[in-house]
Amino acid sequence: MALLNREKARRFREKSMQRLLAPAALVLLYLFFGFFGRNFFSYNTFVNILDASYYIGFLALGVTFVIITGGIDLSVGTVMMAAAIIGGTAYRTWGWPMWASLILIMVIAIGFGFFNGFMVAKLKLPPFIATLGTMMISMGIGSIVSNVRSAAFPPRTEADGWFRDIFKIITEDRFAIPTGAVVLFSVAIIFHIILTRTKMGRYIFAIGSNKEAARLSGVNVEKWQMSAYVVSGVAAGISGISFPAVYTTVMPAQGQGFELFAIAGAVIGGTSLAGGSGTIFGTLIGVFIMAVLRNGLPSMNLQAHYQTFFTGVVVVGAVLLDMYRTKKTTEVRVLTPADAYKGDMALAIDQKKRELAEAKSAGDSKKVGFLEAEFKKLHAESTETYKKMKAEEKAEAARVLAEEKAAEKEFRDLLKNEK
Amino acid sequence: MELKNDSLLRLQDIEKSFTGVHALKGVQFDLKPGEVHALVGENGAGKSTLVKIMTGIVKKDAGEIFYLNHLFNPRDPKHSLEMGIGIIHQELNMMDHLTVAHNIFIGRESTSFGGLLLDERTQNRRAEELFKRLNMNIDPTEILGDLTVGKQQMVEIAKAVSHNLKVLILDEPSAALTLTEIAELFSIMRDLRNQGVGMIYISHRMDEIGAITDRVTVMRDGEYVGTQLTKEITTQQIINMMVGRVIYEEPKTKSNVPTGAPVVLKVDKLNAGKLVKDVSFELHKGEILGFAGLMGAGRTETARAVFGADPIQSGMMYIHGKPVKISRPADGVKFGIGYLSEDRKRFGLALNLTVKENAVLASYEDYQKNLFIQAKEVEEVTDEYVKKLQIKTPSIDQIIRNLSGGNQQKVVIAKWLIRNSEVLIFDEPTRGIDVGAKSEIYSLMSELAAAGKSIIMISSELPEVLRMSDRIIVMCEGRVTGELDISEASQEKIIEYATMRG
Repeated sequence: MALLNREKARRFREKSMQRLLAPAALVLLYLFFGFFGRNFFSYNTFVNILDASYYIGFLALGVTFVIITGGIDLSVGTVMMAAAIIGGTAYRTWGWPMWASLILIMVIAIGFGFFNGFMVAKLKLPPFIATLGTMMISMGIGSIVSNVRSAAFPPRTEADGWFRDIFKIITEDRFAIPTGAVVLFSVAIIFHIILTRTKMGRYIFAIGSNKEAARLSGVNVEKWQMSAYVVSGVAAGISGISFPAVYTTVMPAQGQGFELFAIAGAVIGGTSLAGGSGTIFGTLIGVFIMAVLRNGLPSMNLQAHYQTFFTGVVVVGAVLLDMYRTKKTTEVRVLTPADAYKGDMALAIDQKKRELAEAKSAGDSKKVGFLEAEFKKLHAESTETYKKMKAEEKAEAARVLAEEKAAEKEFRDLLKNEK
Repeated sequence: MELKNDSLLRLQDIEKSFTGVHALKGVQFDLKPGEVHALVGENGAGKSTLVKIMTGIVKKDAGEIFYLNHLFNPRDPKHSLEMGIGIIHQELNMMDHLTVAHNIFIGRESTSFGGLLLDERTQNRRAEELFKRLNMNIDPTEILGDLTVGKQQMVEIAKAVSHNLKVLILDEPSAALTLTEIAELFSIMRDLRNQGVGMIYISHRMDEIGAITDRVTVMRDGEYVGTQLTKEITTQQIINMMVGRVIYEEPKTKSNVPTGAPVVLKVDKLNAGKLVKDVSFELHKGEILGFAGLMGAGRTETARAVFGADPIQSGMMYIHGKPVKISRPADGVKFGIGYLSEDRKRFGLALNLTVKENAVLASYEDYQKNLFIQAKEVEEVTDEYVKKLQIKTPSIDQIIRNLSGGNQQKVVIAKWLIRNSEVLIFDEPTRGIDVGAKSEIYSLMSELAAAGKSIIMISSELPEVLRMSDRIIVMCEGRVTGELDISEASQEKIIEYATMRG
């Protein structure tokens, strides 16, 4: 039993380590730039990091749903831009009020989400192809509607610039309040709850893990698969509002490539492209790692495009690490006689401990002294013997390996002579 | 160096565990040069794992391998092939779009100009020589995919032989072959035997074992049972060794269903796809209805159609006398039908989710309130069924992949019980499950029937059908060809109906 508990503890340790690895990397990265970069530890930089995280952040949160179903959404970047530019055109050219333009942005993005979901769930198109098509379609529509002109959203000074306050409030004495962080975290929390506490979330995981098993359990696979793409559309819509709020101007050809950063964020955060696993919290960490890189590298006099380079390194590294860890946790450990001995001794020691506690509570000081000495002896003996046995086992394994190697050499020579 | 010792390949005390399963327990095996050695056992007996260890696909946990009296530990298939141990898998591992010669010499092509260009002509000539040596009639320049499966198998054997093998392992090579092709395979094997190659032959066909092998080694549940000279043992003896002391072969003698039990499910003239033709039957409350038949008789297809997993063309279904329309699994589930697939891993389980999540996968509707899943209730109900069905798992949060086959099956049963299904369709309920766990599943099914659940059991194992069923439906080529009450059923009668072409 003791051995089993130890095994459990080991599993648990590894699991929690895996969970803490990404946040730890983020904190380390932040501290690194803080110590080695210029002016990195400042409130302004902090707000800049947040600013840079919004639009990719929302996209990544949405695409996490799709990836967990075992799909992929390549269209989020261009859908977000198409929605933003059409919203901007509605405001500038068609004279719509601001609030209506923002609603239009959401409607367009959600519409594309439905379109993707329909193609994947109902028409059974491979997600890669379906969303690749949507990526081009949405980019085209953005250009067509805007007449290939960029759309400038109103600055803060105008009355219609109020929507920027959703993502950042600048007070009269020029102090910035990053309200966007509140929006991002709220959306993340809502998405997290959907994913972990609702039927929809369970079904999305089940579909990603084994679509056919889910279907045969009576799950309406088409509906829930579609819902994941719609969530991605909702997220693209919010992203499409956050982008002009931070960067003012939206250009027709923009947005391409954003989807890859969004996917990268999810992947760094531990979401598997094979489907069936992933967390919102992880994705958020992934997004912030990219945002910190983006702001930290310039503070070390490295241009912002180094971000792409290092993000690539992080993506590959994160996935490699994840694979290594999953392999570790699923490995079967072969118990050697030494391990068995250790388990037995642990039991005996536990027994002694109980006796000792009993004697202590009974106040039998003579017995306590005797038991304590015995306990120590047993402890020392078991550690000693275990070490010795382990060393012997190691030596034996090395000996067998050497023998095998020698045999193989001899054997190869034999085969050669035969020829 | 005593090469005179008669063992070519010898395995001693081999141990291997996978997560949740002890696959090999102290297994012995030895192979002599110029011998065809049959390796037999039921599914899950450990034959495949054993040959995978010989070829380095899987690493042993403990034990020793001696190859030509040398300690040998294959690192990977490439290593073992270099040393002269080759394997032909059940499924062909070849490239359909390349030529025969390309397939044979992949990775060691003949080249010219110092390795810059491929020398097709030499390569084809070498392939031709090889075929001549093996008495095979195959054109090396033909595209592999254009050959019959039998010929492709020959190419695979030729490829293995071209490595100068001393040991050749054949894992069910005859499964896809016609009788003439099998005869051809055997004559090639005899040639190789005369050249001193040792062969390990895995097959389920007893007649083949008698025809080609010299010795037989039997395995059961990961354990070594024994080795005998083929000519000194009868087929019945081999089967007895494979099955062991079987407690579960005791057939049922009379139906446990009370007369006049209501009909729960009625299927009338069901047609679906090519393998379900005018199928009609009735299922009573508390009944275990066995579905027997050969492979491809349409039993699984019928079950899937009834459950809504596959579309139906025509026919009616009635639940408690009311006509119902079942066109998707969600409908089947709604009307209280639960389907336990023959292939749990592909169709029954979300393998990387937990026991808990799999157990309630069909019933989340019942365990949510105001859009939120009631985590505590889910845990309670899962705990309850883990106890009831005696599912062995460290916790309900265990990833289901790590459970043994029998316990995985129990989780699938729990899934449908939690959903409160009235009709349970068990498709090959004990496939890939240890003997011990088998009888547990059996008693579970009997208990469920006694508790008023109605069970359809599809099984290819006749003893299983005779032990469990109250009534037996026999199918052949998509039609129902017979219906037997358990009191009148026998293996012979079932086989007679199963081969009766409607």
